[in-house]
Amino acid sequence: MKYWKYLICAVLLIVAVSLPKFIGVYPLQMANIILIYMALALSWDMLLRTGQLSFGIAGFFGLGGYATMLTSTYFGFNPLLSLMAAAITAGLVAALVGYSVLRLRALYFAIVTLALGEIFRVIAQNLEITGGTEGMLLKQTMFKGDAASTYWVMLAIGVLTIIISIIFQKTRIHYASTSIRNDEIVAASSGVNIFKYLVIIFAVTSAIQGLVGGAYVQLYGFVEPTATTFSINFVLMPITMALLGGLYTTWGPVIGAVLLSVIAESLKLRIPYGHLLVYGIIMVVGILWFPGGIMGFIKKMFKISNQ
Amino acid sequence: MRIKVFIVLLLAAFVTGLFFVAVPAQAAEPIKIGALLPLADATGKDGSRSMELAVKQINAKGGILGRQVQLIVIDDELKAEKAAAALDKLCTVDNVDFIVGGMASGITMALIPGMKKYGKVVVWAGAAYSGVEKAMEGQDWFFHLHAWDYQQGAYYEKGWAEVKQKYASFKRDKMFMAYEEGAFGSGSFKGQKVLAENGKYEVQGEAFKSAAMGGGDYRSVLRHAKEFNPDQFIWVGYDKDALPMMEQAKEIGFSPLTFVGSPPAWPVDFAKQPLNEGVLLYSYWADTMKNVSRASKTYSDAFHKEFKDTPTTYFGPLCYTNIMILADAIKKAGTIDKAAVIKALETTNYPSPLGDTFVFKKSNVIDHQANSWPKFMQWQKGKLEVIWPWEYATAKMIYPFPAWDKRGKASATIEGEKKAVPAKDAKKDKVKK
Repeated sequence: MKYWKYLICAVLLIVAVSLPKFIGVYPLQMANIILIYMALALSWDMLLRTGQLSFGIAGFFGLGGYATMLTSTYFGFNPLLSLMAAAITAGLVAALVGYSVLRLRALYFAIVTLALGEIFRVIAQNLEITGGTEGMLLKQTMFKGDAASTYWVMLAIGVLTIIISIIFQKTRIHYASTSIRNDEIVAASSGVNIFKYLVIIFAVTSAIQGLVGGAYVQLYGFVEPTATTFSINFVLMPITMALLGGLYTTWGPVIGAVLLSVIAESLKLRIPYGHLLVYGIIMVVGILWFPGGIMGFIKKMFKISNQ
Repeated sequence: MRIKVFIVLLLAAFVTGLFFVAVPAQAAEPIKIGALLPLADATGKDGSRSMELAVKQINAKGGILGRQVQLIVIDDELKAEKAAAALDKLCTVDNVDFIVGGMASGITMALIPGMKKYGKVVVWAGAAYSGVEKAMEGQDWFFHLHAWDYQQGAYYEKGWAEVKQKYASFKRDKMFMAYEEGAFGSGSFKGQKVLAENGKYEVQGEAFKSAAMGGGDYRSVLRHAKEFNPDQFIWVGYDKDALPMMEQAKEIGFSPLTFVGSPPAWPVDFAKQPLNEGVLLYSYWADTMKNVSRASKTYSDAFHKEFKDTPTTYFGPLCYTNIMILADAIKKAGTIDKAAVIKALETTNYPSPLGDTFVFKKSNVIDHQANSWPKFMQWQKGKLEVIWPWEYATAKMIYPFPAWDKRGKASATIEGEKKAVPAKDAKKDKVKK
C-alpha cells in the first residue's frame, strides 16, 4: 500500500511536468495561478498546525515580491537567483520578527502578523528605491514569459511546498506542532522546545510565501504596493482554500486551491456579470457542508486516521 | 438526348455555382475582438455594454469587410493574475484578431508582458499612469485613448486658468489636495505640486486611506484642509469615498470656494444625494452632453434604447469609441493585416460621443496617443452639468460652493445670478443640428 502512494505521486508528477506538451498557454497560466494559491494556502496551514493563526501571508508575499524586483533591477540578478533572494529575505525577516512576535498567542499573534504586512506595505510605499506608491516595472519577465518554462518554475515551487509540508508531517516537527497546538504546557513539560519550533516553522512558511511573491513578480513583471503586491486577496483566498480543502493536512489546501481556482475561472467564463456572487455562495455552502474540509469528509468516509 | 445533356449540364453548373457562392459565405469567419474589463465595476459594466452596442450596430450594417464582428469580453476582476490569464485565453484559445478595453493602470501593468509577447494591435481605453506609457515605448501596435496623468494635470491647469480669466471673482491661490495613498492619488499629488510651482499658487496635500482599500475616515485630512483654508479643495480617490467624504465635510462644516472630487467613477446613487449640490469634478463625459454634441446624443439615445438605462461613467462612451475607432480602421485598411490596420489607425479621425474628435498623435513617449480631454463638471440639482470647456458647457458654474448651513436656498452662479441656470434653458440652443 505504501509503495502505491509513491507510485501515484510519481505518475502525478510526470503528468504535471509533461503538461506543457499537451495543453496551451491559457491552461498553463491558470495552472500557475493555482500553484501560487496552493503554495500560499499550504504554507499558511503549516503554521496553523502549531495553533498560530497568521494573517501575514500578503506581507511576506509582498516582501518577497519586492526583494525580487529590487535584486533584479539594481543588482541584475537572474530570475532564479532573484527568487532565492525573495525566499531568503522573507525567511530571515520572519525569523528576526518571529523572535518577538512568536511570544504572542491567538488573536494577538494574528493581529500582529496582519500589522506586519501593513508595515511592509507602508515602507515599500514610502521609499524611493521601491518606486513609492507607483511601484516598479520589471525590465524583462522570467524566461521572457515563455509559458512552459514559467510553469515549470511554478510547479517546482508547488512541489517544494508539498515536500516541505510532508516533511513537517513525517518528522518530529509534526509531533511538536501538534502538541503545541493541543496544549503548550504539556508540550513544554514533554521537552518540546516550543519557541524554537515556532520560529523555524514561521521562518520556513514565510520563506515559501516570499518565494511565491517573487515568482508572482517574475510572472507579471511589476510591483505596486496598495492594490496588488500586498493585496488582502493574498490573505483571504489561501485561507478560504485551506478551509475548504481541510486544515492540518497536506492535500487539503492543495485540493481547495485546485477546486476553488477552477470553479472561479469556469464561473467567470459562463456567468460574466454574476460569477462573484455564485462563487461566494459556493464557498459558503462548501464550508458549511464540509466543516472539516474536503479532506475531513474523505477521511470520515474512508475512516482514515490522522496518522 | 442533347436537350437532356444540356439540362443536366445546366443543373450541374447551377449547383456548382451555388456551391462556389456558398463557400465564401461559410468561410467568412467573424472578425474577433477581445476585450478586458472589470465587469463587477461600474466602469466595466458601462464599458462592456457600450462595446456590445457598438458591435451590434456594426453587424446590423453588414459587419466589416463583409464579415460579422464577434466581441469576446472577459472580466479582469481587477486582479493582475486573472487579467494576464484572460489575455492568454483571448490570444491563444479564442484567437482574437485585436485587443481592446482596459481600465486600471495596475492591471495594465500586468498585461504589458503578454501584450508584447503576442504583439497584436491593441487599442486601449484606460490606464492613465505614465509608467505604462514608458513601458510601451517603441510598440507601434499600441494605441492609447485615455489621457496620461501628466496630460490631464496640464489640461486642468489650462481649464482653471480660463475660468479665472473669464471670471474675476474666481479665486484659486491656495489649494489643498486630499489624495488616496495609492499610485493614482499620490501620482496626482506629485503632478499637482509641479503644476503649482509653475502656476505660482500654494498647494498642500495629505494622503488618506480610501474606502475602497478598507479606509473611510477622512476627518483628520478634512480638518487639516479646513485649517489651511484653501480656495480650492480637491480629493482624489474612488467612488466609495464620495459619500463619506461629503458627509464628513458637512459634519465639520468645511466648505471651500470650490469643492472638487476626482474619482474615475461616481457612486450610482450619488445623483440622488442632496450633498452633491455644487460639487465639481473632472470627467470626460456626462449624459447632459447629448444636448451639446450630436455624437453624444446618438450614443446616449442608442444606449438607452438598448439597455433602458444611462451610463454612469465615461467608460461607456470611451469603450464605444474604442470599438468604433478600430472598426473604422479595419474598414479603411480593407484587411485585418496588422501593418495595414496600424497604418489605418494612424489616420483615425473619429467624432466621439465624448465630444472630442479622436486623432492619434505622439505623446511624451508613445507614437499613438488619442487627444481625449477631461472636462470640468458640476453636480447641479442631481444632474451632472458640463462647466468647461466652454464649447461643451451645459450650465454655468455654481460659485462659491454653497455653505452647508445655507443649503436649500438658491445657489449663486459664478456670474452672480441667484439661481443656477436651469439645465434645459442653457442647453436648448446649443444642440448642434
